[in-house]
Parts: sequence; C-alpha cells; structure tokens
Amino acid sequence: MHLRRIFAGALGVMALASVTVLGATGSAHVAKIAKASCSTSIAVEAPFATGPATQLGLEQLHFAQLALAMANKANGTHITVGKDDTGLNPSLATTRTNSIIASKAVAAVGPAGSQEVEAVGPLFAKAGMAFISGSATLPALATSGANTTFFRVVPDDNIQGPNDANYIIKHKLAPAGSTILIVDDQEAYSQGLVAVMTPILTAAGYTVNHQSYNGTDTGATLQSDFSSLATSQVSATTHLVIVPWQSAGNAQQFGQTLQQQGKTVTLFGTDGTDSPGQFVIPGTYVSNFGPDISTSKSPVDKAIVKGIKKYGAYGAFGVPTWEATTVVANAISSVCKAGKTPSRANVLAAVRKTNISAANSAMGVPIKFQANGDLVAKAGYLFHIDSKGNYVEVPDK
Amino acid sequence: MQIFIQTLVTGIVTGCLYALIALGYSMVYGVLKLLNFAHGDLYMVGAFVGYFAIQWFGGATALIIPVPLLIIFMMVVAGLGVGALGVAIERFAYRPLRNAPRIAPLITALGISFILEDSVLLLFGGFTRNYNAPAFLPFRQSIHIDGVNIWSVQIIIVVVSVAMMFGLRELVNRTLFGKSMRAVASDREAAEMLGINVDRTIAMTFFVGSAMAGVAGVMSGLAFGQISNIIGFLAGLKAFTAAVVGGIGSIPGAMIGGLVIGLCESFSSSYVSSQYSDLIVFAILIATMLVRPQGVFGQPPLQKV
Repeated sequence: MHLRRIFAGALGVMALASVTVLGATGSAHVAKIAKASCSTSIAVEAPFATGPATQLGLEQLHFAQLALAMANKANGTHITVGKDDTGLNPSLATTRTNSIIASKAVAAVGPAGSQEVEAVGPLFAKAGMAFISGSATLPALATSGANTTFFRVVPDDNIQGPNDANYIIKHKLAPAGSTILIVDDQEAYSQGLVAVMTPILTAAGYTVNHQSYNGTDTGATLQSDFSSLATSQVSATTHLVIVPWQSAGNAQQFGQTLQQQGKTVTLFGTDGTDSPGQFVIPGTYVSNFGPDISTSKSPVDKAIVKGIKKYGAYGAFGVPTWEATTVVANAISSVCKAGKTPSRANVLAAVRKTNISAANSAMGVPIKFQANGDLVAKAGYLFHIDSKGNYVEVPDK
Repeated sequence: MQIFIQTLVTGIVTGCLYALIALGYSMVYGVLKLLNFAHGDLYMVGAFVGYFAIQWFGGATALIIPVPLLIIFMMVVAGLGVGALGVAIERFAYRPLRNAPRIAPLITALGISFILEDSVLLLFGGFTRNYNAPAFLPFRQSIHIDGVNIWSVQIIIVVVSVAMMFGLRELVNRTLFGKSMRAVASDREAAEMLGINVDRTIAMTFFVGSAMAGVAGVMSGLAFGQISNIIGFLAGLKAFTAAVVGGIGSIPGAMIGGLVIGLCESFSSSYVSSQYSDLIVFAILIATMLVRPQGVFGQPPLQKV
C-alpha cells in the first residue's frame, strides 16, 4: 500500500514535471515562431469604394498596400491589411472603426477626412489603438485632447492655409484690393481652411467673399449651386476663386461651369482637389501636403514609383498614406525585434517613438511626432495645372 | 439683369429635368397609387447607360461617330433600356404585391432603390465618372445674349424635355394606350371589366415613365458631367416634391411642378444662398401640403356619401 502511494506520488511528480517542461518548451517554441514571423494585422480606412472621393481613396489604399509589401519584405514581417471603406462619411467611418476595434488589428492607417477623424478619434483612444492619417489636416484634431492615439504624417491647415494665402499675396494671383471668392463645402476640413486663410487675405487688403455650397449635393442640385455661385458671386472684380474642397470632381464641375458662363478667373484648390485624373482646369493652382515623387532621385521615392506603376495614374494623396503605413509597419517590426508580441499598447508606444530621417521618408521631411500626434517638421507643396491638364510642381513660397 | 437671366436659364434647365423625372412618379402614382421611390435610381441608371455609350464610341475626346448621332443613340438606348428595367421591376417586384396593403409596395420600392444603387456600386464601383461633354460639345457652341451664355447642351435639354412632355400629353390624350391608362387610373376594376388589359397598361405606364427618367439621366450627364451611383436619391426626392407640388397623378402638374422646383432652387441659390436652397424647396412642399394637399393641378379626392 505504502509502496503503491510512493509509486503514485512519483508518477504524479513526473507527470507534473513533464507538463511543465513541455509547456515551457512549447511556449518558447511559440514565442520563437512569433518572433520569426512577426505576424499581425492592421486596418486601412479610406474612401475607396463609396462617396465623393473614391479616386483619392483608391490611391491611398494602393499606396498602403505597396508600403506594407515593401515593409514586410524589408523587415521580414508578415503584416496583413484589412480594407475598410469609409466613404468620407463620419457615420460609415464610425461603423467601420467599431468593427476594426472588435478585430485583431493592432493599429490603423486613416481615416482620410478630418470630419471622420473627429468621429472616430475617441473610439480609437478608448481602444488604446494608434491610428495614423495621411490626409486629415484640421488643426483641432491634434489639439482638442479627444484623440489621444491620433497621429498624422501631413502638416495641418495652420501650415497649408497660411502657405496658400501667402503665396496668393506674394505672387499677386489676384490684383491688390480685388475681391477673392472663397467657397467652402460645409465640411470641417473646408471650413477650417477658410477660417485660416480669410484673415491673412483680408489683412493684405483683399475683399474676401465667403460663400458655401452643400458638398453632399449631386446632379441637378449641385449644378444649380455651382451655376448660381458662378452667376451671382463671380463678378468682374473677382479674379481668384479658392475652392478648399474634398471633391476634385466637384471642383472640375465648378471650373467647367465658370468656363461655360465665360468667367475668366483663376482657381486655387487645396489638397482635397488634388487629383490629376479628375481636376484638370488649366491655369489652376493646387496645394498639397504630399510631394510629387515621380521625378525624385531619392532611392525610397524611386522604389515607390516603381512599385506603384501597376496601379496606374496617381496624384499626391498616396505618398502620405505610404508614409503612414510605413510608420505602423516599422513600429510593429520594432516591437517584434524587442522580442515582444505586437499588441495595441506596444505598437502605440512604438509609433510614438517613430524617428525616420528625411532621406528615408517619402514626405521629404523627417517623420517624428510631437506629443499630440502632429509632425515636428512640416512642409507644403504646390502644383500648377498647365494647358494640357498636367500637374507641375512649383515652389510653394 | 444678367444675373437674373442666367439664373432663369439654370432654373429652366434643372426644372425640365425634374419635370421629366416627376412625370414618371406621377404616371405610376396615377395608375397604381404607388410612390415609386426607385424612380430616381432609374434616372441614375440612364445616366450610366449614356456614359457607357460614350465610351463604346471611343470616349469623349476620340468619338468615332458624329456628335448628333451619338446623342440620339444615347437617348434611345437609355430610354429603351431603362424603360425595360422599369417594366421588369413592375413585373417582379410590384405586381405580386398589387393587392397587398399599400405599405408593402412602398417598402418594396425603397428596397428596389437600394438594390439599384448598390448593384451599380458593385458592378461599376463608387467612382464619380464624368461625361466630359465639353470635349465634344465645346462651350463655344453657345448662344450669347447680353453677357448671358446659353450652352448648346442646355438648349438640347429644354427642347428634348418640352418635346417629350408634349409627346406624352398626346400619347395620354389621343391614343388607345392613353385611354386605357386613364381608365385604369380612374377605376382599375371597372377598366378590367370593360376588357382593358390592366397588366399590360400598367407595364406600358412603367415603360414610358422609366424611359423618360432614363433620357433625363443622359441629359443630366451631358449638362453636369459627374455621375455616380448616388445621384438618383436627391434627384428623385426633388422630382417627387415637384410631382406633389404640381399634383401627384397629374401630368401637367408634374411639368409645372418640376419647373417651379427648378426655378425656386436656382433663384434661392443665387439671391439667398445655396445653403438654404434645399430648405426653401422642401418648405414649398410643406406649404403645399398645408394649403392645397392635392397640389396645384390635382383633384381633391371624391367623398362617397
């Protein structure tokens, strides 16, 4: 009986020891695999399937896919991407964000529009999940305190707005003392830029005529808006019309309405209208936060240009999204290199520590974030549409 | 004065398009007492048919057929195609519900609207496409009157719309189909007892109404350029407002209602603000409902005593 007890006890100890040893070996093995493969997923939120900016959304999606492919190859990671169409619509963005938060994604790229970030920022903050936008430029997104996990790789409107206004003044795009018409599309992004540009232009002696149209209008109603704006607001003393809109297609339609009514004014669009496939009114200026990398000598830019060729024509919207995706991918890689499994918390911490030199950045500036998620270094870019509808980069000062 | 005339031109052009769509609403309501909320999406489908016709003939900048021929082709194909789609919708979605409570076909109409929108989204993507009509109908082909430019496309829209409206009036007033339609609208059971093929009459009504929406879609694409799967919603809503203001079920009412809505929208955008144009248009709808619920040309319902 006693021997049997000893034997049973010995068996129990051996079994326990075996389980412990096997478990430890197994854990080490799993950790080794995780470290080797560094597998995880991220989400890309962009308006690539619905809404008024699908062209730009698709460009963002393609550049994000390219960035991930390049980063996976360079870092030896296996990061997959979930594609979430937001339609540039805060309500749809909220729905998509909730499903991203419920998924295993450790970080997100996007969303594209400032109004979308306003809607989803607190959700990401609550989930402790980093999200990096390549195009949301409303200054308050970083300063409001509501979006604690928000980052952006583009300068905000406090850079773009004054840059544009000062360019107009310096290069006399409108004769001194004349009227400048500025039209917002009733979205946060558009109204933010108007608020920044108007006082600068007014202080320079221009009369600023601020009008609005409903950016969600379509068809005959939209045309009615544009015809009326062109008819009643573009007078003989109006030489410049600023269109800080999110829809390049609408800007094109407005430009054609002006042409149809025989109004000869210069248009000045902002990043939302930057779409070489859609907005091609000759003589127009278009500012953007992303550079033209098509002729760049930088190895990074050359690699992007080569990789993106298969997706067709692109504008200046893709590059910032490439950069945003690269930041996320590098953060995940750094977590894996530190021997940890990527989680929302450690990826967020790694994103905060991002430090990419100007030489390795497609944005032409170092990528390093302030505490509020804004870039430390900021630059703007300007394009002029020539008589053939091509975008030609010009110095923005 | 220049602003006034240019605004008037814009109002008439948009009003003509609303009127064409509103006619379909009115005709269908006349015979079935159904608010066909999918009607605006038929207009959207027509716009897409026109767009693909342009691409089929080489694209806006490299057309391989003369422009007048292209425009006629686009309108005919869109009219026939969308008309046939309207008939199919009636046959498979509304006819089985003809004797169901009125809420059932109404909900079905909303469902059909979403199906059409999302089908176009799935088939062709959410891209905003552009007819780029100025490439083959340049702005220099305009009439200039005292600083006001009237583009050839705007003239085409007004001429074709007026011709179609008068054609429809003749069809309703002077043909056997028109008589059948009026009989079905007046009393469906009595019409059936008199030997009128009600099913065929209703199908023909759907065909004509949908065809007009299809042609309106093509003209909208020519004039405004941008088309997408969502353009039908707002246009349909405005046209519905036009039909109600004019008197739903009344053909002259739909024509006048369309023009009233187009002009109100245009003048409120020019002289008040485009921010308030929708508010003004829908305020007119509410005011009409309060003051004259049957609309300007509508008949008050008969009270059987």
